[in-house]
Amino acid sequence: MRLRTAGFARSVGLLFRWNALRLRQVSLMLMMFQVVLGIGVIFGFAFLVPHITPAVALFFTTGAPALVLIMLGINIVPQEVAQARINGRYLYVSSLPVPRLAPMLAEVLYWVLIQLPGTVVTLLLAVLRFHIHLHISLLVIPAVTLVSLTTAALGYALAVTAPPPVTSQLASVLGIAVMLFSPINFPLSRLPQWLQDVHHVLPIAYMADLIRGTLTGHYDSARTTAFAVLGAWCVGALALSSRAVSRRG
Amino acid sequence: MLLDVLDVTKTYRGGVRANDGISLGVDAGEVFGLLGPNGAGKTTLVHQVLGQLVPDSGTIEIEGSDVVADPALARQLCSFQPQAAAPVEGLSPRQAIDIVGRIRGGARDDVRREAVRLLDALDMTSIADRPVPLSGGLARLTGFCMAAVVPGRLVILDEPTNDVDPLRRRALWQLIRDLADGGAAVLLVTHNVLEAERCVDRLAIIGDGRLLATGTPAALKSGLGAPLRLECTLESPEPPDLPTWLTVVGMNGRRLIAHVQLSDVNETMAWATAAQDARVLAEFALTPASLEDVYAAWIKPEGVAA
Repeated sequence: MRLRTAGFARSVGLLFRWNALRLRQVSLMLMMFQVVLGIGVIFGFAFLVPHITPAVALFFTTGAPALVLIMLGINIVPQEVAQARINGRYLYVSSLPVPRLAPMLAEVLYWVLIQLPGTVVTLLLAVLRFHIHLHISLLVIPAVTLVSLTTAALGYALAVTAPPPVTSQLASVLGIAVMLFSPINFPLSRLPQWLQDVHHVLPIAYMADLIRGTLTGHYDSARTTAFAVLGAWCVGALALSSRAVSRRG
Repeated sequence: MLLDVLDVTKTYRGGVRANDGISLGVDAGEVFGLLGPNGAGKTTLVHQVLGQLVPDSGTIEIEGSDVVADPALARQLCSFQPQAAAPVEGLSPRQAIDIVGRIRGGARDDVRREAVRLLDALDMTSIADRPVPLSGGLARLTGFCMAAVVPGRLVILDEPTNDVDPLRRRALWQLIRDLADGGAAVLLVTHNVLEAERCVDRLAIIGDGRLLATGTPAALKSGLGAPLRLECTLESPEPPDLPTWLTVVGMNGRRLIAHVQLSDVNETMAWATAAQDARVLAEFALTPASLEDVYAAWIKPEGVAA
């Protein structure tokens, strides 16, 4: 039999196929959840905030996809890894000749694709409901890549290091913390000064800003700065993740 | 040797010494059995060979390369069937085998052809495209095929026959033999001593983390010093007066096992027949000593070295 070790892209592709086949019975349902969530964001938030100004509408609409991508990395991916560690899939895959970060990338790729229809529906509804004008730039592709990779790499590192039950709890706590205390659905200026300072270092504000900016053309911070800061976080997160998966007992 | 394990010691946090100075070697073309009770340290040794655990001391080499230092090489050179059922929920056997075969570097058509051969040999063709059950024999057989479709130079099988029905089990042993005949070294972890006797070329018995004995089944049996075993069921739980030439090696309720030398066969038969007539023995059997006798001689029930 002809032998050649699967290259990086091939490994990611085959592991992605594994994920897609494994979850094929629920994939459609998962996509539908994201769509329903998108509809909820557009119509539900109107109950929470009665007077929706164009500025608020912009934050809601563009905050939703950013939040979904961030949640994917710090909540869904760690929960999936915790599950894989319990049922033995993680250990099995780690015995296969694949590059160390390939399983993580396959995981991110699957979940980004799952949430894509929901994001599109959210944006379309927002345009209809709030008359928001989108100016989608091609930079949305690197922005989405950086956001999902950074958060998923951090989530993955957490999930392979902490015991699975701790991971599940921590993922939920992190999710709530990000939702309530991060300037994703509201402007940074609404937070107390010390928290604003924290968000100048953390990647979350830059993530929301890049998604908003590449969808609408309105950036809070300088676009180059946001890309640079997030790029640095992404490199750091991938290094951390790589270190975490290579650690041996 | 294709696999060389030298003086490997591994202590877990908490102080449990799972492997204590284990040395063994497995050659290409050879099925090597790793026997021992639960908790003896077999799986710990396997995960060190696979590069997933690091030994405290000692070396592990595959084809002369240090796989402790280069775990990526270990993953390339080894294919592995884990002790737990293959974690392939939602996939059919064919899909699972195909994905792993291609991850292991097999070309698409080669992998498909080999999957068909394996599934056919294990009589799994009719269920090859249904989702794999989460546990049981079919899940385990799927796990075997995933390790065998593009075999490593070293194929590690951890309890491959558990839960497998007798006919498929026979086919499985043949496929394991084929892997070795195809040039791989096969490390077979099992506590199924009787089956191992028929399949392995050499074996090691480990207990309490230590290597207790190693050799061919024949050499280990001859090391027992008794080629025959007498197995008796007693009429009463009181042990009878036994002739001096019998060496009692086991007594469990009314079941008594003794080793017998070839020169004492006639006397043994005469004594046992008389004892049966006298209703001391309910029944008896005189058989060649098996690997199980070797195993029992080394391993006490609680898993402590004899």
